[in-house]
Parts: sequence; C-alpha cells; structure tokens
Amino acid sequence: MTNKYYEFFCPVKVIAGKAALEHIPYELTGMAAKRPMIVTDKGVRAAGLLEPVIAACEESGLEITTIYDDVPPDSSTTVVRDIAGIYRQEKCDSIIAVGGGSAIDTGKAVNILVSEGGDDIAKYSGAGVLKHPLKPFFVVPTTAGTGSEVTSVAVITDEAKGVKLPFTSSFLLPNAAIIDPRMTLTLPPHITAATAMDAMTHATEAFTCMAKNPLSDAYATAAIKKISQSLLQVMDNPKDSDGRLELAQASTMAGIAFSNSMVGLVHALGHSTGAICHLPHGLCMSLYLPYALEYNLETIREPLGELLLYLEGPEVFAATPASRRAEASISAIRKLRDALYKRCQLPRTLKETGKVTEAQLDHIAEMALDDGSIMFNPKEVTLEDARAVLRRAWA
Amino acid sequence: MLAKRIQPMVFQARRLYVELMFQVMGRALQAVSEVDEKVQNEARALPDGFLFEMMVMPAGSKLIVEHTGQGRFRYHGDKAPRPVDLSIQFKHIAHAFLVLSFQEKTSVAFANDRMLVDGDISYAVRMTRVLNRLESFILPKLVAKRAVKEYPADLHLPEKLISAARIYLKVATNFVETVRA
Repeated sequence: MTNKYYEFFCPVKVIAGKAALEHIPYELTGMAAKRPMIVTDKGVRAAGLLEPVIAACEESGLEITTIYDDVPPDSSTTVVRDIAGIYRQEKCDSIIAVGGGSAIDTGKAVNILVSEGGDDIAKYSGAGVLKHPLKPFFVVPTTAGTGSEVTSVAVITDEAKGVKLPFTSSFLLPNAAIIDPRMTLTLPPHITAATAMDAMTHATEAFTCMAKNPLSDAYATAAIKKISQSLLQVMDNPKDSDGRLELAQASTMAGIAFSNSMVGLVHALGHSTGAICHLPHGLCMSLYLPYALEYNLETIREPLGELLLYLEGPEVFAATPASRRAEASISAIRKLRDALYKRCQLPRTLKETGKVTEAQLDHIAEMALDDGSIMFNPKEVTLEDARAVLRRAWA
Repeated sequence: MLAKRIQPMVFQARRLYVELMFQVMGRALQAVSEVDEKVQNEARALPDGFLFEMMVMPAGSKLIVEHTGQGRFRYHGDKAPRPVDLSIQFKHIAHAFLVLSFQEKTSVAFANDRMLVDGDISYAVRMTRVLNRLESFILPKLVAKRAVKEYPADLHLPEKLISAARIYLKVATNFVETVRA
C-alpha cells in the first residue's frame, strides 16, 4: 500500500461572474448580518471600486454601516486594533474586505479581534489558536493574483517588535469570495501582469511541489489554462471583461490549489527579495519562476511536462516529444514573460528591476533558506544552490 | 480474532518504540551539536535558551532540547524547564511511528500534514535541517535516504563513520549517566 496521503479543505462559497456584487446583500442577510463594515484602502476608493459594492447593497435596502479606507500596504497591529474599535463603536456585525492582499489580511485580523474580544491581536498569532467560528466575513478581491480570498492565513506587522505575525486557522477563511469582473477592469497593465504571474506561480508550484494532490492538481491546471489563454488578451484589451473574469477566477483557483498543497523555492526567494529589496510580490514570482523550475527540473520532470498541455494547448503538447515537454513548459513561461516585458516592461531579471544590487544576493539566499515554503520544495536547497539560482536570475 | 488479540501489544510496542526513538534523538541532537560544525552553524541562529520540543499529540511522548549558546544543544528529556519556543507536533502516534521508523521522510510528513508547527516557522525549517543532518550521520546511507529529502552529496564514508561513532558513543554515555543518576 502506498504511503500517499493528503488533505484538502476549501469551504469558501465562490460567487463569480456578471453582477456577482449584487449577491452580497442576499448572502449577508442569509447569515443574519445587517450592519456590515467595509475594510479597504485609499487606492481602491480612489479608483471608484467601492461604489458598485455600496450601490449593490443599498439597492437591496442594506446600509453599509461604516467604511474604513485607510489600510496601508503593509498592515499593522495598530491598524487592526483601530479598525476593531470602530467596528465595536458602530455596532457592526460583519466585515466586507474590498481590495488586495493587505486589505484582505487586515479584514481577517480584525475579524479575530471583534469575534474573540480584546485589543491585542498578537496573542492570537500562530497556528490553530482560534477554536471558534468568527463573524460573517466576505471578500471582494480587486486584484487577480494573491488568492487571499481562499487562504486561511493572514500576516500582520507588529510595529513595536518589528516582526511579522502570522495567523493560521481555517476560521480565517471568508464565508464567501465575490469575484466580479468590474473590480479588476481598471487595474493598470503592470499590476495586471504581475498579479497574473503571481497566480501562475501559485498554480505551477502547487502542481510541482511536495504536497501536490489530485484535488489541488485539478484547480492548478485549470488556473494555468485560464491564465495562458487570457493574460495576453487582457493586456492587449484591458476592458475585456470576460478575460478579466477568467484571470480573477484563475487567481481564486490557484489560491485554492496552493493553500492545499503549498509552494516552494520561487516563493522562498520571492519572500526574501520582497523583504530585503521591497519589490512587489507578483513581480518576484514572475522573475524567479523559470529559474526555480530549471533548478528543480530533474525532480519535477513529469508533472512539469504535463503542464505543457495547459500552457500551450493540445497541438503543441502532442507535437512535443514526452522527453522534451518539461523544458518546453519552461520555454512557454519564458515566452509569456517576454511578451509581458514587451507590453509593460515587467522585469525578467533582477538587474532589470533596477532595485536589487548584486551585493544583496547573498543576503536574499540566506533569508530564503529559512522561509517556510522551502520545506515543500521537491529538491533540498542548500545555500550554494540558492545563490546559484539567484546568479542565474541576476541578468 | 488473533489480530484483535495482539493489537494492544502492537500499539504498546509502537508507543515504546516512539518513546525510545525520542530519547535517542534527543541525546543524539545534543551529541551532533558537539561534533559537527554545520549543525553548530545552523543552531547558532537560534536564541540562547531556545527550547525545542517534538511531541505526539495530545499528550504523548516528547523530546525537549535547549540551545545553550554557541550552537550547542542540551537534551532535557521530556520535561521543559519553561514554556517551549518551538513545538513540532505529530497529530497521532501512528504518524510519529511512520517518520521515526523511516517509512516517511520528515519533509513528506510536513507535506502530508502529519505534523503541526507551533512557533516561528523559520526556526522549524532550521531544526528540520539539523534533524536531517543528524539522520544522515547516524543512519546507514540506504536508510538515511528514506529519511531525508536528499542525502548530502558531500558526506563521504570516512567522515560519516567517524562522526556516527562519536555521536553513538556520546548517546550511550548520556544513557548510562541518566541511569546512574
């Protein structure tokens, strides 16, 4: 009997497609929630993305009780405490997070405080600390990449101690994720590209790393197919709402995949590069993906070869000898990156970013070795290996 | 019928095996930190007084080691002098047995959700590397290959034999001292 074993969990109701936002009042009412609070950031508000959410609720007679629109890009324990205070003061009973990774993580953390009580979010940090379901929580993503709407993790910075606090619990998962193409229609090209490549990396690593399983594989391959087919179309025609919806769904599917099978070296390097050089996460993912796949190649030849079908379609897959499919998959990803570079100058190497120096590579490598993602990389990564991958990614 | 009768004995044997392996591993962690520079370098990044625990949920066997500074570990048996900083917890004794009998690699056990990490994940990654290094030394290569993600290419037979002998000698000495005490 094989030792193979896996776990898969995603209880988030996905509400996706045209007029999806208009389902929010019904879903809130179904959970006896009458006084929702919106948690978002200034960029989302300035882009006019709150208006359709508010209009959808008001049209159904549901008032948004209060809006907090000052979530910073790197949310902190102070921000979480302040928002929880407003929630209590306004007697809210539910949270709608509208935004990208930071707004969603903040919404998750606020939900812990308002459900469990107290003002110190740090005491709920860690895995499995929460033992009870939290207040009704809805997420409306405004980028198509992070997959935070279907992950059970939040990261909040403790400013006083200068550390990032991780929170992990299945109770952090929202009750519903609302995927509406209107929310990503105005994303600028370079953010569209970087976030889509983030989702592509989630799916590719989910499919090739150690905790892959049949259910996450299904989500990962479907996500890769959608991104491969829609990303360049959307880059050429940003108002293509069907294409936008495809990318948004792909992001959610990739999120479901990686939250159940974890990620590997690309994320380990990306997290440390983000921390040291302050590069956006999606950009780092796009940058490192082919180099990490090349490093892992002999360990992941079979699954990586299978991905060619979803990256390039059946004709190319059938025309490529089985022994060359893994390399062809990497070439397809490189080709996609070149096309994105042509359209929005999304950097393909560390040098092209203009924000990383060669002297920082050693520090990035050292930090990457301590990243939790490295545990799930199919190949054991030594410091020298990490340095070698970084040197290849340099220029 | 027979299977049903011997089942309690099998469970008891498994429990004893896991308990014994924790005792060996705890002492071996202390020993390897005294003989191997790479382990010392890994451990140096841990705070002095850092307490690491490996246990079987909910309140089964456990091993506790402390980083006493300069990359050295001290084995504390199954009693922690204060709350631990990092705990790696097997969800069930059957999962601990799979790992400790080298039927499942530590990294695979993590990937398979057999274990939980309570504490700083970066320290857990570091301690996993230390455990892998230890297993590469003390297990025959064929067995070690089943226990670690990748057997270190730079670990050659003479170094392995000498280090393993020193580790086993220290483990045996520690066992004798514990019995005497």
